[in-house]
Amino acid sequence: MSPKRIVITGLGTINGAAGTIPAFQEAILQGTSGIAPLDLFDVSQFPARIGCQVKGYDPAEYFTRRQITHLSRTDQLALIAAREAVAMSDVTGCYDPYQIGVCIGGGVGGMLHAEAWLQGELSNKPARPGLLRTLLPDCSSTVIAHELGFAGFQGSITTACSSSGTAIGWAADLIRSGRQQAMLCGGADALAMLTFAGFNALKVVDPNPCAPFSAGRQGLSLGEGAAFMVLEEEQAARSRGAQILGYLLGYALVGEAHHMTAPEPTGEAAARVMNAALAAAGVAHDQVGWINAHGTGTPLNDVVESNAVKLVFGERAGKVPLISTKAITGHCLGAAGAIEAVASVLALNAGIIPQTLHFRGVDPECDLDYGHSGSRTTATRIALSNSFAFGGNVTSLVLGSAALQQEVC
Amino acid sequence: MDCFAPAIAITGSAAISAAGNGIKPALEALISDTSCLKPIPEDLAAGTTGHCWGKADQFKATDFIPPLKARKLDRASQFAVATVGLALADAGIVKGAFPSDRIGIALGSGFGGIANASEFLSGYYQAGVSGLSPMLFPNTVANAAASNASIEYGLQGPNITFIQRFCSAESAILAACRFLEEGRADIMLAGGVDELTPQMIRGFAVTGQLHRFAAGFGEGCGILVLERAEHARKRGAAIAGQLTAINTVGFLLPGAEQQGINQLLQPLKSCNQLFFTGPEPAVQPLLGTVEAATIRYPGRIIGSSLAMGGVALGLLTASLRPGEQGLQLAASPEGPYYAISVLGGYPA
Repeated sequence: MSPKRIVITGLGTINGAAGTIPAFQEAILQGTSGIAPLDLFDVSQFPARIGCQVKGYDPAEYFTRRQITHLSRTDQLALIAAREAVAMSDVTGCYDPYQIGVCIGGGVGGMLHAEAWLQGELSNKPARPGLLRTLLPDCSSTVIAHELGFAGFQGSITTACSSSGTAIGWAADLIRSGRQQAMLCGGADALAMLTFAGFNALKVVDPNPCAPFSAGRQGLSLGEGAAFMVLEEEQAARSRGAQILGYLLGYALVGEAHHMTAPEPTGEAAARVMNAALAAAGVAHDQVGWINAHGTGTPLNDVVESNAVKLVFGERAGKVPLISTKAITGHCLGAAGAIEAVASVLALNAGIIPQTLHFRGVDPECDLDYGHSGSRTTATRIALSNSFAFGGNVTSLVLGSAALQQEVC
Repeated sequence: MDCFAPAIAITGSAAISAAGNGIKPALEALISDTSCLKPIPEDLAAGTTGHCWGKADQFKATDFIPPLKARKLDRASQFAVATVGLALADAGIVKGAFPSDRIGIALGSGFGGIANASEFLSGYYQAGVSGLSPMLFPNTVANAAASNASIEYGLQGPNITFIQRFCSAESAILAACRFLEEGRADIMLAGGVDELTPQMIRGFAVTGQLHRFAAGFGEGCGILVLERAEHARKRGAAIAGQLTAINTVGFLLPGAEQQGINQLLQPLKSCNQLFFTGPEPAVQPLLGTVEAATIRYPGRIIGSSLAMGGVALGLLTASLRPGEQGLQLAASPEGPYYAISVLGGYPA
């Protein structure tokens, strides 16, 4: 018996480049970056003062006053994106509520609010203790599950920058294994001083908008946001008349077991995860049209990821564009994998390979096709989406366009 | 209950807890009903009195980790590195004896990374950018414990960290079993780790949680070595038990609570040993749902935490005689709920 195919029937996002799926599709296809000066907190002490903040955000547009008091910024972004994905899928009521689960990849959770409490403690001006209640990143999955009435699996994955890519893969696994019939999965992460100061302390933040795979790149640009997908088993989704938006064909995850912050330099571990993901998906290497890279724009990451792609695709590596959408969205950490998976599905369905923005010149160590010169059309229907993280947690997703439904994969 | 196919064997376990280092002291405390919780110093509990905590006071990182290495690790990572080492030894697994990419780790981590985050941010708020310590930042992530353990023992298989209320370890154990079922790994280290700091007690106190869900909070780490039974038999491993099923529901829907409980327990109505984990108010809906010869609350003995399910499952396995049925019911306020079924020993 062939394994169950998992389809995507709903998408939702809010991030620094766009507040809805239609707007995000426009940003991805047109190559519109949301990176700009930050004003969420004081960044004046740092050399890099930019990022991809959700701009002009007014929680009152989405939530009651009571909700605003009880939800962290991360929880709010998560709920907004989750609501959009669920509305698009029209999945509510189609399955027993105990058969619909929620799985989120998280990062700092409500750290932004806990920081205000900590500042108060340190300055002997006690702040509202309620600021601490949303600290942990599992809050988002709980509030989403309760608001939407999804009483199945409820879980949060915290593997730093690969959290939400892994959450999507794990959600698909829960359906494949028969434990759940549908899953709302994705990730959410808000900007916080912890991560902004942390990456600055490591000197991996570019003072200018990040320039993945370019000469002279100095690091990442931080971002924030949330993105979600609704996943279902293909036949069940078709039976209920759901619109098929794409496929989650397979995934893999490994630990590099190398170093807490530095990637394994040869790219062997990252290559292993891409190969394993393709094997799990039953997809041949020559079916992969392009790769949505982890592509942070740090000097080390981009070289290692290029090495990994060479190990996976061999002589064909230069013909598989390795693009990064982080120059559009910033690096959204715990939400990055989900935002990039959604970006990949939107681009696949449009038949476009997105552009990697902010090209500054050719880096001799990055000698593949990075899509710096512009977006382009493509007939390919399958893309990989990579997520690498602190601790060596590496995840790769294999995504297919909606057009795959006409093919035997 | 949903059974795993192929069967999942438990071939090793280890724990660090308020009872001491290893499964044995915690099991002795549990069976003799001797609480290892101690009073929280008043100055930490915002002036309130009568609260207890389960600090792993007997744990000294340098007993397990070279001092220079131990200094670089946060407390949760120290727990994880030490406990994984003990669990591997218990399972008779020597580094290098198996392909490293076939051994993975799945951990629940509650407050892992928070202490480093607090210290890192305090440096900034007190001294600006000159107060930032780059050394602290990498271990502010919740996956630091699993990742540091993977680095220490060369575990290059699947690597995942969960947090989900008081069921963080149970979430990780479910994933580990699935990875074995699918053949993503041959051996998985699975369980949970949590640390307890004065800053956390301060946070619990000001939010009123010391009286409620953080009452008797503990710290430590519990790890099981899981593998497909066939793999375990082939390498001649001693099988302590069989992990027969894991069920979960996210929360009990108002008006359909019984349906959720039925889905959680499915046909299981009785067992020899029943362990409840999570805050006691949260387990209320599950009381009386399963008959058992012995019912235990490990949290009363070693403290409960977001990820103590790993220690509890190690204790449950160790307390079962061959052929006995054990059940761990884990609950969190607002959900989720987990039911983990264990069979003692393994049929020849």
